[in-house]
Amino acid sequence: MPTRLKWLSIVRSPVGATATVLVLLLALLAVFAPLIWGAQAEAIDTSGTQQGPSAEHLLGTDALGRDVLARVLIATQLSVALAVIAVVIGVTVGTLLGTAPSVLPRWAGRLVVGIVNIAVAFPGLLLALFFAVIFGVGTTGAVLAIGFAMAPGFARLTQTMSAAIAGRDFISAARAAGVSRLRVLIRHVLPNIAEPLIVNATVAAGGALLAFAGLSFLGIGVQVPAYDWGKLLGEGLNRIYINPAAAFGPAVAVIVAGLAFNLLGETAASVAGGRVTIGRWTLPPRPQPTTRAVPAFSTVSVGTILSIENLRVSYPTPSGLVHPVRGVSFEVREGEALGVVGESGSGKSLTALAASRLIEPPGVVDADRLEFNGIQMLTAPEKTIRGLLGTSLAMVFQDPMTSFNPTRRIGSQLAEAAQEHQGMSKKEAMKRAVKQLQAVRVPAATRRAEQYPHEFSGGMRQRAMIAMGLMNSPKLIIADEPTTALDVTVQRQVLRLLERVRTDTNAAILLISHDIAVISQSCERVLVMYAGRVVEDLPTAELYTGARHPYTRALLEVVPDLDTDREQPLGVIPGRPPAPGEVPLGCAFAARCPLATAQCREADPELEIHRDKHRVACWNPVESDTRVTLPELTAAAHTEAAPVATVGGAQ
Amino acid sequence: MSELRFDHVSVRYGSRSTGLTAVDDVSLTIPSGSVVGLVGESGSGKSTLARAAIGLAPVTGGTITLDGVDVTTLRRRHPIQMVFQDPFSSLDPRMTIGESIAEMIPRGTFSSAAAKRAEVGRLLKLVNLDPDRAGSLPGALSGGQRQRIGLARALAARPEVIIADEITSALDVSVQGSVLNLVRDVCAELELTMLFISHNLSVVRYLSDYIAVMYLGHIVELGPVDEVLNNAKHPYTRELLASVPTRNGNLLAVDPAAPLDVEPADPHHPPSGCRFNPRCPIGPLVHPERQICVQSAPQLPTTPGHATACHFAELTKDRLPQPFEPAW
Repeated sequence: MPTRLKWLSIVRSPVGATATVLVLLLALLAVFAPLIWGAQAEAIDTSGTQQGPSAEHLLGTDALGRDVLARVLIATQLSVALAVIAVVIGVTVGTLLGTAPSVLPRWAGRLVVGIVNIAVAFPGLLLALFFAVIFGVGTTGAVLAIGFAMAPGFARLTQTMSAAIAGRDFISAARAAGVSRLRVLIRHVLPNIAEPLIVNATVAAGGALLAFAGLSFLGIGVQVPAYDWGKLLGEGLNRIYINPAAAFGPAVAVIVAGLAFNLLGETAASVAGGRVTIGRWTLPPRPQPTTRAVPAFSTVSVGTILSIENLRVSYPTPSGLVHPVRGVSFEVREGEALGVVGESGSGKSLTALAASRLIEPPGVVDADRLEFNGIQMLTAPEKTIRGLLGTSLAMVFQDPMTSFNPTRRIGSQLAEAAQEHQGMSKKEAMKRAVKQLQAVRVPAATRRAEQYPHEFSGGMRQRAMIAMGLMNSPKLIIADEPTTALDVTVQRQVLRLLERVRTDTNAAILLISHDIAVISQSCERVLVMYAGRVVEDLPTAELYTGARHPYTRALLEVVPDLDTDREQPLGVIPGRPPAPGEVPLGCAFAARCPLATAQCREADPELEIHRDKHRVACWNPVESDTRVTLPELTAAAHTEAAPVATVGGAQ
Repeated sequence: MSELRFDHVSVRYGSRSTGLTAVDDVSLTIPSGSVVGLVGESGSGKSTLARAAIGLAPVTGGTITLDGVDVTTLRRRHPIQMVFQDPFSSLDPRMTIGESIAEMIPRGTFSSAAAKRAEVGRLLKLVNLDPDRAGSLPGALSGGQRQRIGLARALAARPEVIIADEITSALDVSVQGSVLNLVRDVCAELELTMLFISHNLSVVRYLSDYIAVMYLGHIVELGPVDEVLNNAKHPYTRELLASVPTRNGNLLAVDPAAPLDVEPADPHHPPSGCRFNPRCPIGPLVHPERQICVQSAPQLPTTPGHATACHFAELTKDRLPQPFEPAW
């Protein structure tokens, strides 16, 4: 997202727009109010002191007969200026303190961190009062006090953010090249933390404004003859029974200005954090199921556990609706191990999530048929779906750490599944949990059931996740890259475990992986996905000899094996897959395909039955015994050219 | 000549009681102009060893030398450069790729800004990227392109040794090949010495002349790549080889004798003796009489050629997993 567009989106939200207008108004007032109302605010009128509101003096007059409204407007300058100066002091000192540890020698750095930690523990206002006493009563003292009181907070913020940046590899690279620590700080760290720092400073300005009002109100801030809102509020409050408006005016000013800064900062923070999206999306009406010939499985046959026809997943984007999954049809039979393979962005994970109704809005799932174990998943009520997940449908994700609650013991999390869905007693459920942990070969299961997720290694967590899925005898286990984060030896153990579960319980397995070798070793059938569609569906036994889609062939070619010829360059598929919003008109693979013809660029081939148990979507399928020669390794093959011939949106 | 030598190197983090020895007494020589592949599971210390060579990890014992010169004394020159794993965190998102590359050019190499720009263009061309892209930000590039920039940036420092740490593990397979081809071509052309780290044995085999297998901070097997892979002697190397998904392999095959599903050892509390003994299919778990594995750590022989740190390395010959037919 371009930075300028991003910041513009602050103004697009109603809160952001209001806050921006208010802050601009404050700035204008601060500059011009003394020029316009200066004389009026200083005009002493001894005949009209302590008056209430009138047409001439909207907020009345003060003890010397001066117009309160004019004084409130003029006080904007001092109030805002003091707040801004204090924030500048706070941010500067804070950033210096926060970044010092990364430049100073180690012992000095620790000392600074220690001091900052102690200072952070003090309440800000207490610190400000403490400094106000040190620097003396008066405007300068107040500015310094509030500025320094803010510094520890910013120091901590800077420290935390720099620490996060310092762990990134580009810092390591710069250090390895001998770039000095100061230069790393200035060139790499500061620019990358500037954004949140500025956002926080804006919020802090609102706080500073209130703090000054407080100090002046207490009489240790701005001193006569100068005045800010706090001072005026103090004066007004003394006469609140005579003229409430004199207190009301500065109070409103403080609240409005404080809110304006805070809201602007908050909106900016949410934009910077990616919580606000550009513009407004109108969700298009649900696409009508298209009546197109579905080549296979027109009726659900006996023994089919999952049946999907023409599944589409759509997401709205600023440039229109995109379809990361575009008409996927397949079935999973009882006890079958089906693999789905594809590169990142091919839609394989979304297909799995859509099949279990786990796509979150604004994503839209649509299909001619989405049937699991006899239940129509698209029309079934939310409650039925929730009952399915964790009982007859188990999900295993790539990172089991995020799938477990880190604050609860593994055993009780497993037991909960059985208590919830089978009405078991706690004791029974716990027994079953231990039994399942044993079944997935977690060593010392009784003891480990008492442990927390972080005490498990990656492989053991993945086992526990599978055990959780098995608590309620599932009919289908959807495993989305279950071994990608694991070492090869552990990967092998997890794949063996899934295989054992399948043979023992006759549960079907839908295994999603980017690694075609893993799929070929652990599944009976494989779906090859490309750009949101299934391009080939065949038994894994035929994969290396009978694959007919050029993409499947190319995938098999490019993966180095333990007997790859080391004298030859590795195979490369030139170009890269089209982004979901840029799918070309014809076959999505045509731009990278060595066999593409004019027909391929005009019409998208259907997934058609090639022969028994083998479907392929290609106009020019490869003959079984011919070898697809990938383009010679040239400079052209190196460059990942953008896909040619793209049409906006896929509609 | 640019021989990188690790001599009894140890890297220890943390205090005496809670610390962790990530690399323990490792000796490894990378001959000039050759590629050594380093494999091992996560936590085996392979990345730590590499980071120690470029000063990003504290060397607490032993020395790392480049042509006999201690690398920690090379303050002005930076002849060892690294290409990082994650193409998304290894480039400063706020710097153009030209600036990122130019930052690595040693100071004083070029007098004018124009000459520096020309050098950046040359480096981009070297990694098969359009020199006109020097002005783009990393956000506009694909993962494969970023990895090329990572290589160009490393080359900008005029290194003699390149350390490649899992450079393709974050890439899609269709892109992986082009990056590996490039690394191989560039290293051959510039006669660079390389330490290539990966958990993927097929990739390591494709690129390396020698291979070193690490397990829990130790090198357990070392030798010319074909020797080690065709005639693996350490049971851990054998287990690794059996776990590689290949078209002819059989991942679901089960070795009935091997202790199955043992948890990887905790690097904070490494087992006594041979660190692989709690998982070893030829160790004390299977053969109770082999107590030597628990009592003493096998040493890696210092003789040149194929070396194995195992008390029973010679007995492993016929211990390959039994063939196993899957149900279909």
